[in-house]
Amino acid sequence: MITKDNIDSFIEKIPPSPKILNETLSLLKIGDLVKAAKVAEKDLALKSYLKSIVNKPIYGFRNEVSDIGQIFGILGVSLSQQSVYNYMVTLLSPNKWTLFNLNRALFYELQATLSKRWEAILMHLNIHDDNIYAAITLLPASIIVTEALFAQKKEEVELLKETKALDYNTILMRLCGVGLFDICEEIAKKWEMDKSVSAVVQAASGIKPSENEEINTLGKWMHLLLFYKLSKPEFINAGLNDFVDFQVEYVSDIYDDFALLMEIE
Amino acid sequence: MKAVVKNGIAVFSPQGFLDANSSNAFMCLEDIEAATNLKADMILISLKKVVFFNRNGLDIFIKLFSKIRKKNQAIVGFCDYDRKKYEAVRRFFQDELNFSLFKTLEIAYLFSSSFKNQNKNILIYSSDKSQRSAMAIELHDAGHNTTVAQSIEDFEEKKDNRAAYDYIIDSTFLGHMGQKVAARVTGNAIIYTISSFLDVEIGENFNIEYHNNSLNVGFRLFIFDAYKVLSMNIHALNFFSKLASSGAEYNASICFVGMKFDKTPIAFKETMEDAGILFYKQMDDILKNKELLKELGANTASNVKNKRVINKETILELPKFIDATVATLEMMTNAKATKEALNVRNLTIEDKKDKIASSIGYYGDMDGMVILVFPKEIAKKACELLIGESTDDLEMILDTLAELVNIVGGKIKTLLADENISVNITLPRTYQDIDSLMEVVEGRKGVQVDLLFKSDKFLFFLTR
Repeated sequence: MITKDNIDSFIEKIPPSPKILNETLSLLKIGDLVKAAKVAEKDLALKSYLKSIVNKPIYGFRNEVSDIGQIFGILGVSLSQQSVYNYMVTLLSPNKWTLFNLNRALFYELQATLSKRWEAILMHLNIHDDNIYAAITLLPASIIVTEALFAQKKEEVELLKETKALDYNTILMRLCGVGLFDICEEIAKKWEMDKSVSAVVQAASGIKPSENEEINTLGKWMHLLLFYKLSKPEFINAGLNDFVDFQVEYVSDIYDDFALLMEIE
Repeated sequence: MKAVVKNGIAVFSPQGFLDANSSNAFMCLEDIEAATNLKADMILISLKKVVFFNRNGLDIFIKLFSKIRKKNQAIVGFCDYDRKKYEAVRRFFQDELNFSLFKTLEIAYLFSSSFKNQNKNILIYSSDKSQRSAMAIELHDAGHNTTVAQSIEDFEEKKDNRAAYDYIIDSTFLGHMGQKVAARVTGNAIIYTISSFLDVEIGENFNIEYHNNSLNVGFRLFIFDAYKVLSMNIHALNFFSKLASSGAEYNASICFVGMKFDKTPIAFKETMEDAGILFYKQMDDILKNKELLKELGANTASNVKNKRVINKETILELPKFIDATVATLEMMTNAKATKEALNVRNLTIEDKKDKIASSIGYYGDMDGMVILVFPKEIAKKACELLIGESTDDLEMILDTLAELVNIVGGKIKTLLADENISVNITLPRTYQDIDSLMEVVEGRKGVQVDLLFKSDKFLFFLTR
């Protein structure tokens, strides 16, 4: 069904981060927003993506923002960097989703709201590390990996899931000994993302807590944030609510803080 | 969202946050329809992976419960919660609690008539006296030994002696219990559970199509668990007499266990005995008596009423059956299958050693039976995905094999539905050796496909 070879082949096909994006990211890292915007302008797909993201209601701008320089200026260094990584993740997404009932707009929506909520969480936790800001961008990659590996076996997996409540991560682990978040880590390595990015995402899987207390706390917030989003009707309808197992106990000590921050009544 | 069905209980497992919006998305019309049509004793919503819920979120499920109960009388409710969630549900619904609450899924299994595990020592506590009694009666009737704690102090004290109990039940509430005739398979006997007053409605609550197809698949021993029957009238008597007469053509045995005749005319017993129905005091009188089991036909399936031949309709759909089986097994074993031979003949197994088998029947627009014969090693490999570890426990392997053949049956059903052929599937049956399988298929011609998974031979047989 799904073998280690399929996984290796998937990882092999992940393109290295394009030159323009690398350059944009390098300039963003040193805080040169103007130069970064000039470089980013050259990638029309990136430009279009940034425009579509920043003009979503969650960003709350009254008038359309279309100039890249203006977008980077509004977002600031951390969020600009995060947006470029988000764009890189979309490069892996399929043209047509078959396993999940998703489309490009809905996936962008997921990325945008996760990013914005993650920003609120990091502000609440008083964390100002750019790499930690960027960590949220890798999380949706797990959905893309699931789609890529399981799309051809949709019916079989559905029958299996009706017999046993197994999530995709467990199925993959039992079949190949590799989990979805391990593959995300490989993506992060290929794109030379900071190690802390994959460490947080691994902790956010809920089944591989980190020994580093700070990373672990961030993993808990990210895990809860993911399921907060995946409990929204559009993502339940997309079939995403149970794609990985929610670990209620893992997040129990931060739930009250989370509920307060997200204004859950 | 689809339910997972095991031991007669269908469980939906939403994750995360349940409010009015999300609950509506969890249960679309199609899901509600599918849940209503499930042949389950209980339909439960697991709150295990729910971190937040409010009254509006649960209301959607309550409406679903009401629809299900109207249609098939199944027990409905929530399970898998902690004390805080239990108190929240009780607070939300106070006087309108007409559904059940089971602290864990394991506790729910104890109340399901399809659950075969009996004779457990169970400690029960509820602050509501009538609930304590209701639980004790239900569990006692299901063959368990119950201890009822009369106060919270009594409960805390008894609970300390953890080793004395297999299960400890608290934070549990029994709403309306089911009335349908539930079926379960124990070994090679089918056990139906009947209760309260049996009248003309038994004809509606008993799935005669399922029973007839179980006969066709090879089941010969049918036991009615009648411990909870209070009385029966002439209509029910006629129903059982007819059932016994039609079963006689298959050499089937029908037994009643635990039936009391203090409120039912004793003449009814004589009439039923004349029709060939046998009466026993306790379930163990049959299930633990190997000689009697053999005599009653639990090990044999000869003298099939109609030895039917494979027809053109079945042959036309054959590739679909094989594809469904191969795709499922490839997924479960992570190995590629190659087809070695295809023949129309009586089932032929050259090397019977270290092989186990399972079968599943389908009926509706088409009917027949799929038999899968596994080398133990393939079966073990297939089970690893489902149970997550390697095991040599034969009972566990056979149980998992039953789940596997259920998946195959489900896939066949889906594939045929794509061509507007509507079929239902029977409960799966397993065989721990080839001799017991051969007794069922003796004299039946079918299509035999030999498949190879790496170096292991696997056999598919389709018959009617």
